[in-house]
Amino acid sequence: MDLFLQLLFTGVGIGAVYALVALGFVLIFRATSVVNFAQGDFSMVAAYLMVVFAVDLGWPYWVAFLISIAGMAVLGAVFNLTVYYPLRHRTFLPVLISTIGASIFLANSVLALYGPQPQVLPGWLDTPGFQVGPVYLDSQYLIIICVTLALVAFQYWLFERTLIGKKLQATSQDKEMATLLGIPVAGMIMLTFVYSAVLGGIAGILVAPILFVSIQMGSTIALKAFAATIIGGFGDVAGAILGGFAIGIIETFGAAYISVPFKDAFAFLVVILFLIVRPQGIFGERVAEKA
Amino acid sequence: MSRSAIGQVFYALLAAVLVALAATVKTDGYIANILMQAATYAIAVFGLSIVLGLCGQINLAQAAFFALGAYSVALGTVDYHIPFWLCLLGGMAIALAAGAGLGLMTLRLGGHYLAMVTISFQQILTVVLTNAIGFTHGPDGVSSIPRPAGFASGQSFLALVVAIMAISGYLVWRLADTRLGRAMRAVRDNELAASANGIDVYRTKLIAFALAALLAGLGGGLFASGFSYVSPDQFAFADSIVLLTMALLGGAASPIGSAIGTGLLILIPEWLRFLKSVPGLYLAVYGAAVILIVLFMPDGIWGYISKLFRARKPAPSKAAEPLTLRPLDSGAPMALEVKGLCKHFGGLKAVDGVDLQVRRGGAHALIGPNGSGKTTMVNVVTGLYRATAGEIFVDGVDVTTLPAHKRTVAGLARTFQNIRLFRSMTALENVVVGAERDGNALIERGRAALWGRARAALDFVGLENRANEAIPSFSYGHQRLIEIARALAANPTVLLLDEPAAGLNLSEKKELHDLLGRIAAQGLTILLIDHDMTLISGAARHVTVLNFGRRIADGETADVLRQPDVAAAYLGVSE
Amino acid sequence: MRFNRRILNAGLAASLAAPMISRVARAADTLKIGMVLPVTGPAAAVGGYALAGAKIALDRVNKSGGVLGKQLELVTEDDQTTNPGAVLAFSKLAAQPDIIAFLGPVRSTQNHAIANDVLKTAKPFCFGGTDPALTKMGNPWFIRFRPNDTYSARVIASYGVETLGKKNWGLVHSTDAFGASGGKLLAAAIDKLGAKVAIDQGYPNQSPDFTPVVLAIKSSGADVIGSYFTYENDQAIFARQAKQLGLTIPWVGSPTTVAAATLKLAGPAVWGTYAIADYATDSSPEAKEFAKLYSAVSSAPPDLQSAWPYDAIGVLSIAINKVGSTDPGKIRDAMLSIKGYKGAEGEYTFDQFGDGLHGYNIVRNENGTIVFDKHIEFTD
Repeated sequence: MDLFLQLLFTGVGIGAVYALVALGFVLIFRATSVVNFAQGDFSMVAAYLMVVFAVDLGWPYWVAFLISIAGMAVLGAVFNLTVYYPLRHRTFLPVLISTIGASIFLANSVLALYGPQPQVLPGWLDTPGFQVGPVYLDSQYLIIICVTLALVAFQYWLFERTLIGKKLQATSQDKEMATLLGIPVAGMIMLTFVYSAVLGGIAGILVAPILFVSIQMGSTIALKAFAATIIGGFGDVAGAILGGFAIGIIETFGAAYISVPFKDAFAFLVVILFLIVRPQGIFGERVAEKA
Repeated sequence: MSRSAIGQVFYALLAAVLVALAATVKTDGYIANILMQAATYAIAVFGLSIVLGLCGQINLAQAAFFALGAYSVALGTVDYHIPFWLCLLGGMAIALAAGAGLGLMTLRLGGHYLAMVTISFQQILTVVLTNAIGFTHGPDGVSSIPRPAGFASGQSFLALVVAIMAISGYLVWRLADTRLGRAMRAVRDNELAASANGIDVYRTKLIAFALAALLAGLGGGLFASGFSYVSPDQFAFADSIVLLTMALLGGAASPIGSAIGTGLLILIPEWLRFLKSVPGLYLAVYGAAVILIVLFMPDGIWGYISKLFRARKPAPSKAAEPLTLRPLDSGAPMALEVKGLCKHFGGLKAVDGVDLQVRRGGAHALIGPNGSGKTTMVNVVTGLYRATAGEIFVDGVDVTTLPAHKRTVAGLARTFQNIRLFRSMTALENVVVGAERDGNALIERGRAALWGRARAALDFVGLENRANEAIPSFSYGHQRLIEIARALAANPTVLLLDEPAAGLNLSEKKELHDLLGRIAAQGLTILLIDHDMTLISGAARHVTVLNFGRRIADGETADVLRQPDVAAAYLGVSE
Repeated sequence: MRFNRRILNAGLAASLAAPMISRVARAADTLKIGMVLPVTGPAAAVGGYALAGAKIALDRVNKSGGVLGKQLELVTEDDQTTNPGAVLAFSKLAAQPDIIAFLGPVRSTQNHAIANDVLKTAKPFCFGGTDPALTKMGNPWFIRFRPNDTYSARVIASYGVETLGKKNWGLVHSTDAFGASGGKLLAAAIDKLGAKVAIDQGYPNQSPDFTPVVLAIKSSGADVIGSYFTYENDQAIFARQAKQLGLTIPWVGSPTTVAAATLKLAGPAVWGTYAIADYATDSSPEAKEFAKLYSAVSSAPPDLQSAWPYDAIGVLSIAINKVGSTDPGKIRDAMLSIKGYKGAEGEYTFDQFGDGLHGYNIVRNENGTIVFDKHIEFTD
């Protein structure tokens, strides 16, 4: 039972990381039908920005955080203008390749600018964790879970209760109609990319104290987050979140109870099963073509 | 000699020269390694050009199939001492089976979902290769993989690989022009139209996946002997992405594009090594280069180059034969009969118990307000939707449960409300797709007969002089005509036209009216859906009216159009 | 759009020409040593250390007159931390006929990938991978500059069982060539000493979470951990989670346990751990001297990644000077005949297989400082 609880906590914790990155994926996908292979690298860049401001320059944590997030917003905007916007009328495969190019570019630019040594980023709280009965709660994981839930709540409020959220939804559901209704589609898409970059950045800054800041940290998470969006239903926000938690838990329990080396395989087996049995994911809608 | 024959001779010569060079020119180990990698990868990328370029299906597991071929040769020769050629063939067979397996998934999935299945397969294979140590040697990999007898030296093996690459490139190149190749291109351009023109979409996709995997297995097997060492981390998801990028950058639909893309993506990082003093700089430049190429060369590099040199295709020289239409007549009283047809979408009853009898010869119209179920009915009759209840008979044959592509054999053909042509093909190629449907009795064996019939069909609609132009260069009205020609080339018994007059101007509508008359004169049965009452009353002798999914009137045109409830539902009542 | 296409065409032409331009004539009158190392990819960090160590040795040799009267020069190529990358990097170097010897990667799997090409090139190849198979393949040009894993496994087992008195082992190792082979050898060595393996946990590289592994070890009742971690990130995450989840048994680990990157990332989480270390600053005067030279060029502490290339260059220059020629066969024979060369990593006495070191140091992490404990050497 102790083992189970500890694994559950860790699974939920790592799942929250996947969920947060998956959220960024899904938002961009809903708005633009683009799978952004560079989403994980957004997390990585933000973590490095934090290292520069909070560790190297020694600025207060909150200040460094705000500046890093602002930097991510700028990166999201630039990304939109250079990688997505010129290709917006093409099919999704060229855009996908373009995001792959962007991922390589981002990872190696950071390498060229900062060097290959992995860095340490301190966590938010000074205490590393709390022992609650038989279970050890890593404080950073606690923060991640809380922030993820908060962001999910914020997301819900934004999309369902504000006008700009409705506009974003309209843009993602039918761009042409949105334009006809006077919604500035290009602006909405820009907002989506900026927000996704910020989300990815927050995920990176949150997970950096656990995974350490390295060039590879993004890709470790990104593929799993991508799988999470599939399980949840491509294009469904709630599904991506649930999918993230699901993958984290499946992976952790699979590793503990079946086999650690094969744990990566479990997540993908589940994905394949879902795709065969229920391709629209838990929440997604069937999309039919008009003849 | 035709242009294509000249091209083939040129290709053969070029291939021979390359093989000779590979066999004789001494290069240092570095260049030899690059060439070896490029040649084996190119074969795998040829495979991608089939499944992705020709057939439009996403395959992110090409490195996994490559691995299957590589490991078959590696384990087979090193652990079990099976001769190289047997291992290579075995590896290709295993890869083929795996590709077909993945292709089975395409029954239900496409786009991102298919991408994810292929990614998952790739990841699982990598994990298995790494951890099933007893069988695969795990992360140590397999070393000292031998080469086949007679090709032990690096030089001779490279020549062998180049020769095999040339042969597979040739086969892929010619594939585009075969019936299977056209079917793949049709599926890529417009699945619904492909299905409605007799192409078994699912089987086509399956074959595309299988062929792609087969070529990847071939490349992988050669790779194993070429480098003498394989390990799991050489066949990971990142490598599938590299292969995919090679295909896209070069130009997905052609082997030359694949070869260029492969060569370039292997060479660019090597060229950029001179930037190596700053860690990561050359890869960053590489990443930027990928983005730039995608941005500015949408059809890939070969697409870009070939556009620069594209010559106008000449108009055909010989006049076309006149089109013969010999619709089947089994003796059944109705050309098309529908009994009690229902189509429900959840709670919505789009078609609710409709009967329809379409007499042989002449035109029968199906009219009604928007949302009355006309197009749904056509879609159920042609097989795009499955009927909830009811029966459909084409020329006496019960087609109710047949898939769409089989209904063309029974004699059904259709055009679509929003024109569905294969936009990457020429007008003539579009019509050929229609002509080469299964069971078209009017086509004798041979390419000449097939293309002759297609030209005849185009001539029938008056567009034969523009047969070799690509679809985007035609006006909307002319595209409509090409779609009709495509349907006629299949020699149908019943031709369903879904709003053929939509979007046409007055003179085009007149041309359409004349065309319908000429078609009917050949004995064909036409079922016409439209809103243009002038066209309807002029062309159709019988009319059926639908409203809210139910039939509210049926009979001779003049009578039906006078009925009060038809007027109330559809035509308008003067106050 | 036309403007952009012209620019693009010009750019393409320029980049096609660039490599030609960059082939500037090199200074003649140097002896070249080729080095394959990771500049990009997951192991990029250690590539930097290796280059630093090699350069220190180069400067040292050149300052004292060079080799055969000429200055030594290092030519490097990036292996991108991949096998195909290593093959291409090596073959690029091998294509340059004036390179007389090579330094290879530290990853065993990459050395395997290069082996065939090394055989064909027929020049001495100094490498740092520890898979024992690499010197048993009959490749005469492979010369190893670190003790291989048969020794590492036996030293770990010996220290844990005989010095610490622990007989119930929990093994943790990565699933790549290095980790898998190390784990196997360690299990065998433990068994030979009459101790037990309570649990054997493999994990895939670049794992973000080690909770299942830590908990499995806890519940297995093991009283000592033996480990082979490939990457310092993974090592640090495991160490932190082990501390958090209350796994406090002694830990004798592979050299990454005390690598510079691990110390930085894991911090207090690895205090009190033991490790085998082919390089330990206090193990010999030569090691101390290397540490001093290294601290002049880098703020990171010296570790095996920088020490073995330093030793390789040292041995190469001695061998070449001894033999008085650049003939590869002669150089190799001279290298293999070296006995008792005191390098930073230890005392090199080459056997007929190409292995120069036959033992390991045991060090302890004392509140962040690496303290040398003892050296365990095997004569077989």
